[in-house]
Amino acid sequence: MLTASTELTVLQAVAQFAFYVVLAVFAENVVFSRAMGVSRLIKLVNDPEIHTWQYCTPVILVQLGSAPLGWLAMTYVSPTLRAALPDWLPIAALRPLIYLCCAAVAMAAVWLLLGLLPAAWRRPCREQLPIATCTCSVLGTLLLCAGQNYSLLQSTAFGLGSGLGYLFAVLVVDEGRRRLGSKDVPAAFRGLPSSLIYIGVLSLALYALVG
Amino acid sequence: MPIEQNRKPSKQPGATGRRISRRKNEPERSQTVIIPQLSPEVLEKARRAAAAGKTPQQIEREAVAAAEEEARTRAIDTGAVRAATETAPEPPREPAPKPRPARKTRREAEEELYQSIHDDHLWLNNPVMVRGLGLAPIVAMDINGDYALMLCAAAALLLTATRVLAVAICHLTGNRFRAVVYTFSAAIVYIPAYLILYELFGSSLTLLGVYLPMMVVEPAIIKRLEAPEMETPGEALRRGINNTIGLCVSILLVGALRELLGAGTVFGRTVLHFAPLPLAAQPAGGFLLLGFLAAAWTAVGGAYVHYKQEEVRHLYADRKH
Repeated sequence: MLTASTELTVLQAVAQFAFYVVLAVFAENVVFSRAMGVSRLIKLVNDPEIHTWQYCTPVILVQLGSAPLGWLAMTYVSPTLRAALPDWLPIAALRPLIYLCCAAVAMAAVWLLLGLLPAAWRRPCREQLPIATCTCSVLGTLLLCAGQNYSLLQSTAFGLGSGLGYLFAVLVVDEGRRRLGSKDVPAAFRGLPSSLIYIGVLSLALYALVG
Repeated sequence: MPIEQNRKPSKQPGATGRRISRRKNEPERSQTVIIPQLSPEVLEKARRAAAAGKTPQQIEREAVAAAEEEARTRAIDTGAVRAATETAPEPPREPAPKPRPARKTRREAEEELYQSIHDDHLWLNNPVMVRGLGLAPIVAMDINGDYALMLCAAAALLLTATRVLAVAICHLTGNRFRAVVYTFSAAIVYIPAYLILYELFGSSLTLLGVYLPMMVVEPAIIKRLEAPEMETPGEALRRGINNTIGLCVSILLVGALRELLGAGTVFGRTVLHFAPLPLAAQPAGGFLLLGFLAAAWTAVGGAYVHYKQEEVRHLYADRKH
């Protein structure tokens, strides 16, 4: 039987979860505020063969799946390893390896999960899955959560929010790219320069909004 | 006193009666005596003259005279032939055909030009300014010269070694699981790279935050995983070094420029006594500055490429293909 305190705790957890998701989508957006995954994003929006959902679905799922694994690695694996490592080898040298293992395990789980989708959706998502896993946004989010000492709930919410934030950034930049395809844009600014300036203006707007 | 009086007469047997003398002011002459060769005909004449009862002096004189006459005749004939040969008008010589260079078609020349552009990772195909790789650490952390140096050293240690190691492993795995192979190769290379960087920069390395370990999945380091064709380790080494140079040039350029605009200094030395654009130190400023820099870079590079294309077009204007 649920008590009032239990309900409050659940509500607090939900609120905290939602808060971290919103924080990761807007204020701490991986692209606009931290420039993570920008190279892949610019390539993605300029590639007509890859649809947004085809790339962003694996990104969101991998980020959601790897966040709890990253928390486990930060809480249990890293202290154990730190004690076992020789003095000349700091744990910081192994951080990419540890969190890449988390991302790889999440990738395997997502690969299995994508099997539930229809074949028309499954195949393109699975094609993009390895590249979606090996991005700065995935590893960067794991490293950020570890660096901020987030709890399991916070890590999961931040991971999900980072994936959604990446999708948000892709949609916004894709829309901007369509408008920047005008002939009025000077030739030297077409392509990468105009995309960077556009992302810079959006980043500046977000920076001004958040403060 | 004349010089000749002091000279003793030659007592050599071959120098009978003919003494070669020379005054001091006279030029030295050659003393070589040309003895005409005695042909069998001359010898036969001498034998007949002896049989006819002529004296040896007469026979010798006639033989020498005959030999001289024969030699003179032969010399005239030879000279005439030579003169005739020399004076005869030679047929006009055709100039030696020059070795023709292998004629390239226009398409081959254009392909060669595009290949050279593709291989130019420093300027025309720069990984940052043209291809947009490695943007995360540059936009977020490349805010001054010191940070740029650390990022530059990290890129130099990671990029080429990762590429060569990953290619070697891909040869073993049959080019499968490229994403995993490349990223984990980078993570393994990161371990000694981190130790070296820590020795070089000490605790300042922590200022780069998550952007240093994140370089193992940076597209500038592992971009090759997207290419299905496998390269050899030698090619990986060459291209890795070229990419490293291009990446490091961009990192240093952006770092120095952002420090100048954001703080008025370059590598810690005061250049301006005010900060022209403090926003340059922020990620938003990094995006904007990099965008304008990439535009300028693209404009200059594009003008050069256009010039080279026109040059190829003019050089191969008479060729259809």
